[in-house]
Amino acid sequence: MKIFKFFVSKIFLRKVIPSISVILLICMSNYITYIAARTVISTFQGYQETRGLNQEGNFIANLDPNSVADFGAIEAKGTQKVYDYLNSHFDYAFYVDGFMVSIPNSYDMEISLCYMNESYYAANQFELLQGTDLMFDFPLGEDKEIPVLIGKGLSETYPVGSLINIDDPALNQAITLKVQGVLKGNEYHSNFYALNSKSYYIFSIFVPVNEEFINHANLGLQVNGLMDIVVLQTTEEKILDLSEVIQDTLGLKFNFFSQQDNYEYFNEYYFHSLKIVAVVSLILLLMITCLSVWNALVSIRLMLKDLTINLLVGLSYSKLRKIFYSYFGIVFLINLVIVFSFTAMNRYGCWLRKDATFSTYGLFGLIGMDWLALLFVVVSDIVIGIIVVEIMLRKIKKVPISLGVLQ
Amino acid sequence: MMKVIDLSIKEKIYKSKQSQLSILNNFNLEVAAGEKIAIVGESGAGKSSLLNIIGLLDRNYVGEYTLFGSPTDHSHTSELAQWRNQRIGFVLQESALINSLTVEDNIKLPFLYAGSEKKNLREDENFETVVNAIGIKPILKKKPLECSGGERARAVFARGIIMKPQIILADEPTASLDMENRERIVALLFGLNREFGTTIITVTHDLEIANRHDRVIHLERSK
Repeated sequence: MKIFKFFVSKIFLRKVIPSISVILLICMSNYITYIAARTVISTFQGYQETRGLNQEGNFIANLDPNSVADFGAIEAKGTQKVYDYLNSHFDYAFYVDGFMVSIPNSYDMEISLCYMNESYYAANQFELLQGTDLMFDFPLGEDKEIPVLIGKGLSETYPVGSLINIDDPALNQAITLKVQGVLKGNEYHSNFYALNSKSYYIFSIFVPVNEEFINHANLGLQVNGLMDIVVLQTTEEKILDLSEVIQDTLGLKFNFFSQQDNYEYFNEYYFHSLKIVAVVSLILLLMITCLSVWNALVSIRLMLKDLTINLLVGLSYSKLRKIFYSYFGIVFLINLVIVFSFTAMNRYGCWLRKDATFSTYGLFGLIGMDWLALLFVVVSDIVIGIIVVEIMLRKIKKVPISLGVLQ
Repeated sequence: MMKVIDLSIKEKIYKSKQSQLSILNNFNLEVAAGEKIAIVGESGAGKSSLLNIIGLLDRNYVGEYTLFGSPTDHSHTSELAQWRNQRIGFVLQESALINSLTVEDNIKLPFLYAGSEKKNLREDENFETVVNAIGIKPILKKKPLECSGGERARAVFARGIIMKPQIILADEPTASLDMENRERIVALLFGLNREFGTTIITVTHDLEIANRHDRVIHLERSK
């Protein structure tokens, strides 16, 4: 330990500015690696999730960003007409979230209602902790109960079989929901267009939607439902017809893309971003290596006498290697703790801020992809460590050590 | 007598920034256990280079070197470091101390590298014996720059013998010392030889000291 302390203070920390710069650069490199790794993992999860929709004949609606949309002019009669057309000509996956309600729960979270039809539910293969799958064949009425699935965060307050009374923001009426099942811990939903972006269902309620429900829903749900609607197993001609019907009826210009098109659109900017990250990481690695080696060599030249004395009494280059690895091990560990703390603050902050969409279960809210990304950081640190230490040692071995130094 | 050093150098190239010089050409040295050898010669003759080679600090030469009956040419650097720690003691000029450490820490430095061999050493007992014998107890907590030249020389000496080495390599150990301290160091060196049979190899410019050794080797500059 004394030897380690001696070398850390005499070689690594001898010059304050380069030493701090190296530590900061490593921190930066770790953080970039972490973010890049987590994005890659999250994207992979997004691909896996949307794989079910990526089939020939499936088209996802997308409001043309160049079209002029007057939402104020849209009437319920028009949207109803569009849904009638959809119901008679297509099978489609319907999903809308973001409608919030306040109901008592253990964490005082605002609850997001996620409306989905049977086709959407079937395509997504949600996993349940308890209870049974969502049912879509239910009657709608004041005295009726709608069977729902809830996120794990609500299961303490609302176990399977319990009833939840809400003022439904989509139906504009009081309804009773009956808990039919509980979703697995960190179930999520990826954005079709940004596969690395997710929202979590811990504090969500899955409300089944059928034709009758949509017919009774307000304009908000109907229009929002059209925004990301997925038309299943159809042809381009029929999609063009649908697009025309929507434009003629609602004045909204919709484009319909396959999920493959969405992937390509996403990949275009995503891989470009990844390339930038790779280049930045490489530059950082180069800077860390050069600065560390330079710092060590300058310090060693300044303490050549001390190093020689240590070599005379038993220091070997392999021991020096161990000391160097230990030092970088500690630096990397500190940086890893910083990245971990930052992530934990971020994840746990969602719980503290009552951000229901991004709250997740895990140690400080860290989920699988966070741990995996941290593992990537560890691997990248090992690579950086080996490169830096071995180059440093090669250079140090070239410094002539002899008794002449002590005369 | 058992041979502790069997060195045969065909050629050693000494490289400096300006030039390179061939030294120690066809140099052979055999040293028996317990022998006292002095190496003398003009500057540039290769005295320090020879000590670097004997002390396992330099392996860049053409030749063969057997130490304690084992060839060193293919030994791993960590094995050589262990030999320097356990079996070779370096007694150097009084300036060869680490100024940021106390005298005590300087003397105990070899213990830090002793590794698993350390358990066989009675560290404290050894330290006490050496410190008392050399008479440096009052300066143990001082930093080297707070000590006199003679005190520093004795501290260097203490560090050189703390591991009870079989060979002591002394590089100008009395340079820059006054007569009294010079005699003290020489007496300590020779006392070790007498008492424990330690092999002594001394590089010196001082012919009077050299002549007190069993053998004097004159090195000459290559022509």
